[in-house]
Amino acid sequence: MSPAATVIAAAFLDSLTVPADTTHAIVSVLVALQLAAPAATLVAIGLPALLDRPLSERATTRLVGAGFTAAFLAGLAMLVLLSLRGFVPEQVHLGTWFSVGHHDATIDLVADGLSVPYVCFSTGLCALVNAFAGKYLHREPGFTRFFILLTVFGTGMNLMVLAGSIDVLFAGWEFLGISSTMLIGFFHDRTNAAKAALRAFITYRICDVGLLTAGVVIHRAVGSGDFERLFSGVWPHGECLVPSSTATVVALLLVFAAMGKSAQVPFSNWLPRAMEGPTPSSAIFYGALSIHAGAYVLLRCEALLDAAPLARLALIVIGSATALHASLVGRVQTDLKSMLSYASMTQAGIIFVEIGLGLRVVALVHICSHAVLRSLQILRSPSALHDRHELEAALGGHPGAGGWSVVSLLPESVQRWMYRVALERGFEEMVVSRSVVGPAWRLLERLADLERAWTDWLGMSGAERAEARAERRLRGRSR
Amino acid sequence: MILAWTTLPTVVMALGRTIALDGNDGRLVVSLAAAVIVPLITAFYVSRGGSAASPRKPAVAALTISLVASLVITATWVNGPEVALELGERLGGGYLVHVDGVTAMLLPFVAMVELAIVLVAPKRFLDGAATARILWGAGATFALFSTAHPLVLIIAWIVTALPTWKSTRATPGGHPAARVYATMMVPAVTCMAAGTIMMIVDPPWEPGGGSLGTAGGWLVALAVLVRKGIFPFHSWYPALFRGAPMSTALAATMPQLASYTAVRLFFGHADHGDGVGAELVVLSQLALVTAAYGGALAVVQRDLRGLIGTLAMSQSALVLAGLAGKLPMELNGAFCTWISSGLALTGLGLVGWALESRAGPLLLETPQGRFRDAPLLAGFFLLFGLAAIGLPGTLSFVADDLLVSGSLDEQLHAGLLVITATVLSGIAVMRGWFMVFGGPASVDGPRHQVLLRERVALTALLATIVLLGLCPAPLVRELERAGSELLGVPADGLGGAGHGGSDAAPAAVDAL
Repeated sequence: MSPAATVIAAAFLDSLTVPADTTHAIVSVLVALQLAAPAATLVAIGLPALLDRPLSERATTRLVGAGFTAAFLAGLAMLVLLSLRGFVPEQVHLGTWFSVGHHDATIDLVADGLSVPYVCFSTGLCALVNAFAGKYLHREPGFTRFFILLTVFGTGMNLMVLAGSIDVLFAGWEFLGISSTMLIGFFHDRTNAAKAALRAFITYRICDVGLLTAGVVIHRAVGSGDFERLFSGVWPHGECLVPSSTATVVALLLVFAAMGKSAQVPFSNWLPRAMEGPTPSSAIFYGALSIHAGAYVLLRCEALLDAAPLARLALIVIGSATALHASLVGRVQTDLKSMLSYASMTQAGIIFVEIGLGLRVVALVHICSHAVLRSLQILRSPSALHDRHELEAALGGHPGAGGWSVVSLLPESVQRWMYRVALERGFEEMVVSRSVVGPAWRLLERLADLERAWTDWLGMSGAERAEARAERRLRGRSR
Repeated sequence: MILAWTTLPTVVMALGRTIALDGNDGRLVVSLAAAVIVPLITAFYVSRGGSAASPRKPAVAALTISLVASLVITATWVNGPEVALELGERLGGGYLVHVDGVTAMLLPFVAMVELAIVLVAPKRFLDGAATARILWGAGATFALFSTAHPLVLIIAWIVTALPTWKSTRATPGGHPAARVYATMMVPAVTCMAAGTIMMIVDPPWEPGGGSLGTAGGWLVALAVLVRKGIFPFHSWYPALFRGAPMSTALAATMPQLASYTAVRLFFGHADHGDGVGAELVVLSQLALVTAAYGGALAVVQRDLRGLIGTLAMSQSALVLAGLAGKLPMELNGAFCTWISSGLALTGLGLVGWALESRAGPLLLETPQGRFRDAPLLAGFFLLFGLAAIGLPGTLSFVADDLLVSGSLDEQLHAGLLVITATVLSGIAVMRGWFMVFGGPASVDGPRHQVLLRERVALTALLATIVLLGLCPAPLVRELERAGSELLGVPADGLGGAGHGGSDAAPAAVDAL
C-alpha cells in the first residue's frame, strides 16, 4: 500500500472512532444479544415440544435461522467496533448470578481479538448448517429435536467463546458436551448410535475433570474464576499474572480437558464413531466447531501456556502423536465419513502442535480454514457418494485409484506392517480397553455383585439363610 | 370435596388471627399446624374407607394445602422475623416448635416432593391403605421438619420409618427389601433414642459435660450414618428402591430426615468453636467416600431402580458432606444439593415409575429402545437426569459450584471426591438414558401417552429446578442467612473465615 493510501486509511479510521464508553455500552448489548438470540430460539422451539405441541418444520427452521443470523450480525457489528479500537479487550459484566460471602458467581464475558472473530465464525456456520438441515432432515421424525440440540449447541458455543471466566466457560463447555452426545445418539433406534454417544460422553466427562479441577485451582490461586486475574493484555500477547507453578498446573489440566473434546490420543476413538449422527451435526460438530473447542480453550489461556513450557511440550507431543496416528489410520478407512473424521483429527493434532509452538494466530487461521473446508466436505459427502456411483455406472466400472504415494517408497514389509497397524487403528483402542477401561469396569461390576450378594443375604429370613447354607454345603461336597 | 379442603386454609388463617401470637408468629404457627395436621387428618379419613373409589383426590388436596401452608411459612420467614420462632417445651437445647431458615426453606421442597409422588403414582399402587401410609409419612415428615425437640425427633424417626417398612412388606416380592430396611432401621432408631437420651442427661456442650453425653453424640452420629445410607451402612438404599414401590422409596429418602436431625442436634452448641459438631466432621469424611462410591456403583447397575437407588445414595451423601463444612458457602451448597437433588431424583424416579408401569421392569444391560414408545417421558428423564448431575441453568449447577468451591477451600481431597462423584453420576445417568431409550424398539406397541396429572407434576418439578437454577440469588441469600444462624456467624462477611484463597488472592494479584 502506498504511503498516501495509508495516511488516508488512517484518517478515515480516526473519523470513525467511537468514544470508549459508547463502545463499551454497544459491545455489552451486542454480547448480550449473542447469548440471548440462540437462547430465546431454544425456548421458543423447546417449550412447545416439551408440551407435546412442536412447531412446524418451516417455523422451526425460520426461528432458528433468525436467531443465528441475529447473533451473526451482532458479531459482525462487534468486529467492526473492536477493529476500530485495535481489538482492545472489552470486559462485559452481565450481572451477578448469586453470591455467598466473598464468593461471587458473576456472568463475565469478554469481547476481544480472539472471541469476536470466532463467535462470528461459529454463528455464521450454525446459520448455514441450519439452512442445510432444514432441507436435509425434512420429514425426519426427530426434526424438532435436532434443532433444539442445535440451539443448545449454539448457546453453549457462544457462552464458551465469549466467556470471561472459567465458570462461564465451563457452563458453555457442558452444553457443548451434552448437545454433542445427544446428536451422536440422534438415531436412537440404532444400537451403535446409542453406544457411540455413550462412548463420547464418557470421554468428555473424564476429561471434564481437567476443566473442573483447573477451575478449582484458579479459584484457590486468585480468589475468583475471572481470566482478568489470570492474565492481562491484548490477545495474542497476553501476560501471565500467576506464578509459573500455578500456570503449569492449570495449563496441564486444560490440556487434559482439551484432549477429550478435540479427540487427541489416547482419547480419540470416540470421533470416528461420532459420525453415527446426522450429516449436518457431524459437519458442524466434528468437522468445524466442537472438535476445535479444546484448541479454543488453549488459545484463550495462551498467556498461561507462555509461563508453562511443560504444558507446551505436552501439547507438541500429544498433537504430533495424534496427527501421525490419525493420518495413518485415516488412509485405510473404507467409508467417507470415517475418513473425514480421521482427517479432522489430523488437523486438530497439527493445531495443537501450532499452539504448543506459540503460533497462535496461525492456529486461529488454521482452525477457521479447516472448519470451513471440513464442514463443506462432510455436508457434501452424501451427494458425493451419489455422484461417484453415477460416474461408475457411466464408465461401466471402477474409475481406478490413481496417484503415487510416498508410502510406496518404503520396503514392502514395512508397508504391510503399517497397513496392519492402520487397520487396527494403531492399537490405541485395544490398549485403552485392556489396560484401563476393562479392569476398571470389571472391578466396579465385582463390587456391585458383592453389594447385591450382601443385600440378598440381609434380606433372607432365618430359614432361607439355613437353606442357602445347606445348598452351598451340598454343592461343596458334590465338587 | 376438593372445594372443602381448599377453603380450609382460609378458615385456619382466620383462626390464627385470633390467637395471642403477633402477626408473623401467628401466621407461622397456623401454617405449620395446617401443613402437619391436614395430611394426618386426611390419612385417618382415607384409612377409615373415605373416598375409597379415588383416594388420590383427598390426598392431592391435603398435600396441596400443606404445600401452600409451607409456602406461606417461607414467605413469612423471608419478609419477617430476624430470629427463629421457638415455642413449647424446651429439652436438650431444642424447642417443641422450631421454625428458622432451614425449616422455612426446606418445608416447601418436602411438600412438593410428597405432592408429586401422589400425583404421579399409578392407580394400582394407590389404594386406600397405600394412600394413608403416604399421608401418615408426609405428616410425620412435616412435623419433624418443624421441631428441634429431641424426643419429638425420636418419635418422628419411628413414625416415618414404620409406613416405609409396612408399604415395602405389603408389596409382592418386597419382603427381602423390608427385611433389609428393618435390619438397618431398628439399630438406627435404637442408637438415636439411646444417644439422644444420653445427650439430654449429660449435655456435652455445657461446662463440665461428661463422657456420657459425648458417647451419646457418637451414638446419634451412628444413627445418622445408618439412616442416611452412608458407607458401610448404605445397602438399604438400593434394596429399598428395588423392592418397594417407587413412592415409598422416594418418600423415605428424598426429604433426608437424618440430615435434618444432624443439623438440629450437632449445630451451634457452645463447645464447638466453629459451630460444627466433631461427630459431623467424621460423618462428612465417610459421606464423601459414599458419594464417590455411590456414583461408581451407579455406573454399573443392571436395572433402572438400582441406578436411581445408587444415585440417591450418592447425592444424599453429598448433602451430609457439605453440612460438615465450616464455611457457610459449603453449608449453602449442601442445602442447595438437598433441594436440587431431591427434586431432580424425585422427577427421575417418577418418570422411571411411569414408564415401568406401562412397559414393565427396565433393564440397563442392553438398549431397551423405549424412545419411540414414550418420547415425552424420554425428554423428562433426560432433563431430570441432567438436572441431578449439574447441568448449567439448573439448581444443581449452583449446588455443585458452592459445594466444590467450599469444600476445596477447606480440603483438597474433599473437592476432588465431590468432582469424582459428580463425574461418575453423570456417566451413570447418560448410560441409563441410552440403555432405556436407545436401541431398536422391541415391540411395535402403541405410543404411551403421558397423563395430565403426570405432566403437571413433572413439569412443576422441572420448572422449579430450572427457575431456581436461573435465578438462584433469593434462595441462596436465604440459605446463607439460615447457614449463618446455624454456624453462629454474622450473615455479612461470611466467606471470610477459612477462605484464605479468596482473601489473600487480590492482594497477591495487586502485588504482581
